[in-house]
Amino acid sequence: METALKLNVNGEVRQVLAPANHSLLEVLRERCGLTGTKHGCELGECGACTVLLDGEPVLACLVLAVECEDRRVETVEGLSNGAALHPLQQAFADLGAAQCGYCTPGMLMTAKALLDSNPLASEMEVREALAGNLCRCTGYWKIVEAVQWAGRMSTGDMVPPQCLRERNAAGGCSHG
Amino acid sequence: MKNFDWITPATPEAAVQAAAQAGRAFLGGGTDLLPLMKSGLREPTGVVQLKGLTGMERLELTADGITIGASITLAALCTDTLVQRSLPAVFDAARHAATPLVRNRATVGGNLCQRPRCWYFRHPDYACSKKGGDTCYAIEGENKFHAIFDNTTCNIVHPSNLGPAFWAHDAVVVVLGPKGERRIPVAEFWVRPEEDMRTEVALEPGELITSVSCKPLSGRSGSAFEEVNEKQSYDWGLVACAARLTLDGDKASDVRIVIGAVAPVPLRREAAEAVLNGKVPNEAAAWAAADAAIAGATPLRDNAYKVTMLRACVKNAILTAAARARKS
Ligand SMILES: Cc1cc2nc3c(=O)[nH]c(=O)nc-3n(C[C@H](O)[C@H](O)[C@H](O)COP(=O)(O)OP(=O)(O)OC[C@H]3O[C@@H](n4cnc5c(N)ncnc54)[C@H](O)[C@@H]3O)c2cc1C
Ligand code: SF4
Ligand code: FES
Ligand code: FES
Repeated sequence: METALKLNVNGEVRQVLAPANHSLLEVLRERCGLTGTKHGCELGECGACTVLLDGEPVLACLVLAVECEDRRVETVEGLSNGAALHPLQQAFADLGAAQCGYCTPGMLMTAKALLDSNPLASEMEVREALAGNLCRCTGYWKIVEAVQWAGRMSTGDMVPPQCLRERNAAGGCSHG
Repeated sequence: MKNFDWITPATPEAAVQAAAQAGRAFLGGGTDLLPLMKSGLREPTGVVQLKGLTGMERLELTADGITIGASITLAALCTDTLVQRSLPAVFDAARHAATPLVRNRATVGGNLCQRPRCWYFRHPDYACSKKGGDTCYAIEGENKFHAIFDNTTCNIVHPSNLGPAFWAHDAVVVVLGPKGERRIPVAEFWVRPEEDMRTEVALEPGELITSVSCKPLSGRSGSAFEEVNEKQSYDWGLVACAARLTLDGDKASDVRIVIGAVAPVPLRREAAEAVLNGKVPNEAAAWAAADAAIAGATPLRDNAYKVTMLRACVKNAILTAAARARKS
């Protein structure tokens, strides 16, 4: 049996029909046509399906859609403002933080939640926040750098990436 | 995942009433129930949502100690200053569990009731003893992550980080069932495979954990939870230990040492506690207690490494608890 659900996705109210056994991931991808959120392990282990639920990063594969009625869901599709990329998207593109891109939507959403509360997160804070998002391509450090860079850009600290690298390594950089 | 009735009660009593019908399951954060349902290991006909039930999201100091509602998430536990100050082993245990994304949803009640991670158990094609068959595949098969104690019937290790930490704080699990409320001391909460192969916890069908009450630190005391993982970012512990002690002058008293991830249920090591009680909890005493904690281990083909690792883990947990007690 299908239930009528009212979901608030990226600020838009959507009425969907879905059975109780559908995960939020299935409903987003198959009923809302929002395929930016990726389907990985389905078991909570990879983070590819990360979305924000009331501002908090959660694994959409382990949330039932029926639990999300009248709650705020944010997906990667809601990040950019029209053609203007979100600072995180810009930083991932500029710093080569995405290769195959499969982990990227989940990384971006976890990182968004972190930067919303802590834009100047340290390297360790970024690594800790992203501990549940696996990436098989990049080796992570470009991702960590892109997240830090995006946070700093959004607060007006236009630190060039090479300085960020030196700051992380030495607690300061030659440019002050 | 098979379809089911979706039930959203408003009170713990209504949830218990809803679960009285056979085939229904409580849903906390869903981080274990949903994977089990996806692999067909559980097929409830009705799922009873626990989110928002009155009283199950409180975290406060009461006459019973610190009362932690069963729907409190691991993320809330490991960011709470009362827990950090008064139940440091619980704080550490929650912080080390899983990933931030899992911790945002995983609840205390679900953590205690999660099922084993044994790969034969999780694989739908192996009808092992725990699933009603007559063989434990881990005895002769791949047993790198399995038990090094009490491992003749079923070799699972209990995966809960909170289990040993709650025990170190003399926890009581408060349970509501069709016949009313029961208070189960955490020592009696665990069920060994020899007692009942089908479960790991002493809950009757349809019983709901509403809260867990823990004894807070008092006087000059400290507690800690340590684990060793294959991978730091997230992983179930290979070995774990929760320790608590009080300083009487410079000597340890009222010691608790509980080990995890090494037996089908958490194990309190009273012999190790006896070694440490009355001694200055320095490195030598911590190693001596650790030796007592690993005594009697019966490792399997692939997991002898756990014995050495557990010894160091117990020593570290004791030294961290002692250092915290000295600072208190
Ligand atoms: C990638 C990953 C890594 C993990 N690593 C760790 C780790 O290192 N350490 C660790 O401890 N855990 C770990 N876990 C397990 C995780 O902590 C548990 O899945 C979680 O705590 C379960 O809580 P939940 O609220 O999601 O439970 P649910 O999935 O909702 O429920 C689990 C079971 O408990 C029952 N239940 C839930 N609440 C109650 C209640 N109040 N009363 C009675 N029964 C109840 C349910 O019916 C179900 O049978 C990991 C999980 C994942 C996915
Ligand atoms: S250890 Fe237990 S759960 Fe694993 S195969 Fe043996 S009987 Fe089954
Ligand atoms: S698909 Fe959800 S965690 Fe992997
Ligand atoms: S870019 Fe390929 S998995 Fe991360």
